[in-house]
Amino acid sequence: MYKPSVIKQFLISALLWMVWSGIAAAQTDGEDPIIVGANIGNVPWEFQDTDGAFIGFEIDLVTEIGARLNQDLEIINVPFNGLFAAVQSGRIDIAISSIGITEKRLQSVSFTQPYYDSDQSLTTVVGSGITNLNDLRGQVVAVDTGSTGDMWATENQEKYGFSEIRRYEGLAPAMLDVVIGRVKGYISDIPALLYYVKDKPNLAVVERIPTGGQYALMLGKSSSLTNDVNEIITDLKQEGFINQLHEKWFGAPADVGTSTVDVVPMPRPSSGLIFNFVETFLNMDVFMQTYPMLIAGLFTTIQLGALAIVAGLVLGLCLALVRLYANRILQIIVKAYIDVFRSIPLLVLLIIIFYALPFVGLSLSPFYAAAVALTLVSGAYTAEIFRAGIEAIPKGQFEASQALGLGYVHMMRDVILPQAIKIVIPPLTNNCINVIKDTALASVVAMPDLLKQATQAQAVAANPTPLIAAAVIYLMFLLPLVLWVSRLETKFKTGDR
Amino acid sequence: MASLIKLENVTKHYGDFKALDGINLEIAEGEVVCVIGPSGSGKSTMIRCINLLEQYDKTGSITVDGVLVQKGSNLKTVRAEVGMVFQSFNLFPHLTILKNIMLAPMRTKGIFKADAEIKARELLAKVGISEQADKYPTQLSGGQQQRVAIARALAMEPKALLFDEPTSALDPEMVGEVLDVIKKLAETGVTMVVVTHEMGFARQVADRVIFMDEGNIVEQGTPREIFDNPKEKRTRNFLRAVLNH
Ligand SMILES: Nc1ncnc2c1ncn2[C@@H]1O[C@H](COP(=O)(O)OP(=O)(O)O)[C@@H](O)[C@H]1O
Ligand SMILES: [Mg+2]
Repeated sequence: MYKPSVIKQFLISALLWMVWSGIAAAQTDGEDPIIVGANIGNVPWEFQDTDGAFIGFEIDLVTEIGARLNQDLEIINVPFNGLFAAVQSGRIDIAISSIGITEKRLQSVSFTQPYYDSDQSLTTVVGSGITNLNDLRGQVVAVDTGSTGDMWATENQEKYGFSEIRRYEGLAPAMLDVVIGRVKGYISDIPALLYYVKDKPNLAVVERIPTGGQYALMLGKSSSLTNDVNEIITDLKQEGFINQLHEKWFGAPADVGTSTVDVVPMPRPSSGLIFNFVETFLNMDVFMQTYPMLIAGLFTTIQLGALAIVAGLVLGLCLALVRLYANRILQIIVKAYIDVFRSIPLLVLLIIIFYALPFVGLSLSPFYAAAVALTLVSGAYTAEIFRAGIEAIPKGQFEASQALGLGYVHMMRDVILPQAIKIVIPPLTNNCINVIKDTALASVVAMPDLLKQATQAQAVAANPTPLIAAAVIYLMFLLPLVLWVSRLETKFKTGDR
Repeated sequence: MASLIKLENVTKHYGDFKALDGINLEIAEGEVVCVIGPSGSGKSTMIRCINLLEQYDKTGSITVDGVLVQKGSNLKTVRAEVGMVFQSFNLFPHLTILKNIMLAPMRTKGIFKADAEIKARELLAKVGISEQADKYPTQLSGGQQQRVAIARALAMEPKALLFDEPTSALDPEMVGEVLDVIKKLAETGVTMVVVTHEMGFARQVADRVIFMDEGNIVEQGTPREIFDNPKEKRTRNFLRAVLNH
C-alpha cells in the first residue's frame, strides 16, 4: 500500500522545514527576486541549451527587463496551462511562453503591450499525405492544452471534421506522437514550429492559420510591476533591442508595422473587473460554461478507473495464486514482477508505455496506455493483498478441504477465497481509491480525464474555478469510499464479523 | 477379513528428523483401531500419511482398498474413501452447518443440491443436532461443532474414518457427547482409526489398540492385552503415567 509510515512523514516534514527556512534565509538577504514562470521547451522562446541553461527570445527579453529594473530574476519551469493559476496566485510574478492576449484572459490577469504578432500553424510529417487543414477530416490532431491552438481547433472541429483533438503538455510530447503517426498534425504557434522544423527535414509547417494572436508578458491582475515593465518594453522597442532579438532568434528582422517594432498601448479588459475571491475561485459563469467538459472528463476517469480496477483484480488474483502455489521458477518470476511494479513510479511506467512502446511497433491509444499502466501496477499491489489474505486463512481450512476430496479449484473457490475476500476488502478498497486517484496521471498522455479537462477549461477561461470544481468532484466520489473503508477496518478490528 | 488400509515400511522425515520409522500396519475392513502413545510419537503423522496430508518417504508404500496413496489422479479416489476428523474441527466458518456438510458431495460427486440437503439433514439427525442446520459454526459449542465435522466426513460415505484426537480440544463436559457419536458409528461397521487419549473409550470400542513411541509401533493387541497385560516397559510406563494423573 502507499500508506506512509510515521517516520517517513516525519522525514518529509523535516525536509520541508529545511527547504522553507532556506528560502526564508535567502529572502532576508535583500529584495525578493522577480520570479518568472516559463514553459521550458517552447522553442525558440524559452528552452535549454546543451548545458541546461535557459535561453531563448523571451529569456533574453526578461533578463534585460530584470537588469533595467535592477532586480534579480529567478526563472522556473511551469507547464503552459499552469502559468495562469501561478500568476493569479502570485506564485510567479511574470509569465512568459508566447502567451497570446485574449479578452477572456484579460478578465483575470494583465498583459504588457505585445512584442510579437503571431498566427497558428499546422505541422505534419513530410510524405504523410496531409498538406493542409482539409486533409485532416476524420483525423486526430494535436494541440497544447488550453493554448490558442487548442481554442482554435475546438471552435473549428466541426468545420474541418477532426475526429479528435488530443491535448498535450507542450511541443515535445506532441511532436513525438506526430512522428509516430498516432496523430496526423499539430496545431500550434507558427514561430515555434518554424524554428523547430528548421533542422528536421521530415517535418514541415504546411499551413499558416490566421488567428492574429499577439504575445505579451503576463502578470497578476493587481501586480505593481506591470506598468514599469511595460515602460521598459517601450524603451526596448525604441532602442531597437526587441527587433535585434527577432533577428537573433528568427534570422531576420521583424516586418515594419508589427508589434515587435512599434510601441502599442497596453491591452485593457473591456469591463474593469478587479480581483475578487469568489469571481476567481468560485466563478459561477465559468463553472456553467465548463461543467459539461468536466462531466465528460469524469466519465472518462470512471471508465478508466473501473477497467483498471477490474483488470487489476483479475491479474492480482492470478499472480497471488502463482506466487503461492506454482513451481519455484514461476514463483520467482512473479515475485520479481510484483517487486518491480510496486517500485516503479506509475508516471514513469505510463510514459514508457505510451511514448517508448511505439518504437517497437506497439502503439496504444492514451486510454489503453493508461489502462495498461494502471492495471500492471494495481495488479502487483492486489497480488500482495490477496496473498496476505490467503495466508491469513488457517492451515486447517486447506487440510479439511483436501481431506474431503475437494480439488484445488473447488478448494480455492468454495472455501479459501470466500474467507480471504472478507480480510482483503478494506485493503482492496484502499487500492481502488489509489487507482482512481492515479487516473489523474493519465493527463500526461493526452487523455481527456477529469483533471485534463479541468486544466484545459482553466487555461481557456483563464480562471481556476474548473480546477476547484474538479477537486470537489474527486472528493465527492472518493470521500465516501475512504469513510467506508475506515468503518470496515474498525468493524473488523473489533472482531465483529 | 480383507485389509482395507495397508502401510508397508512407512518412514517420514521432516528434514533430518525421522517422525515415522518404518511402520508396517494392516487394518481390516470394519475394524476399529485406537492409536495411543506419548505426544510427539508420530500418531498424527501416521494417520495424516494415509490420506496424504503428509507425503511419506518414497521407500515405503500405503494402499487404501488396493489403491496406492500418491499424488495424482488416484488421490481423489483415496480421499473419497477416507474421511478425517480433526482435533480443531476445521469447519468452514463462512458456510452454514448444512452447507458445510453438503459442499463436498455436491462438488466431488456431482450430487444434486436437493439430494445433498436431504442427506445432510439425515446426518445431522444422526449426530443429534438437527436444530442447528442453518446456524454458522461459531454459533455452536465445541462439542456440537465436532459432531458437525463428523457428519461432514460421513456425507462422503467413506469406507474408513480417521480421527486425530477428536476430543482433545473440547471442554470436559462435551467430551462424552462426541465419544458417544463415535461409539455409535463404530457399531455400524465403518472402519475407523482413532488417535486418542481417552483410555476408557479405547478400551470400550477398539478391536485393536496400537501403542506408538518415537515413530514406531511398540506394541499392539486387543484392549485387554494392552491395558491389562502390557508386555513392553515403554507401554507400561505410558499407561501408568496417563492412568494415574
Ligand atoms: N511439519 C513438521 N515439521 C517438522 N517436524 C514435525 C512436523 N510435524 C510434526 N513434526 C514432528 O514429528 C514428530 C511427530 O509429530 P506428531 O505426529 O504430530 O506426534 P503426535 O501426534 O504423536 O503427538 C514430533 O516430534 C513433531 O515435532
Ligand atoms: Mg497429534
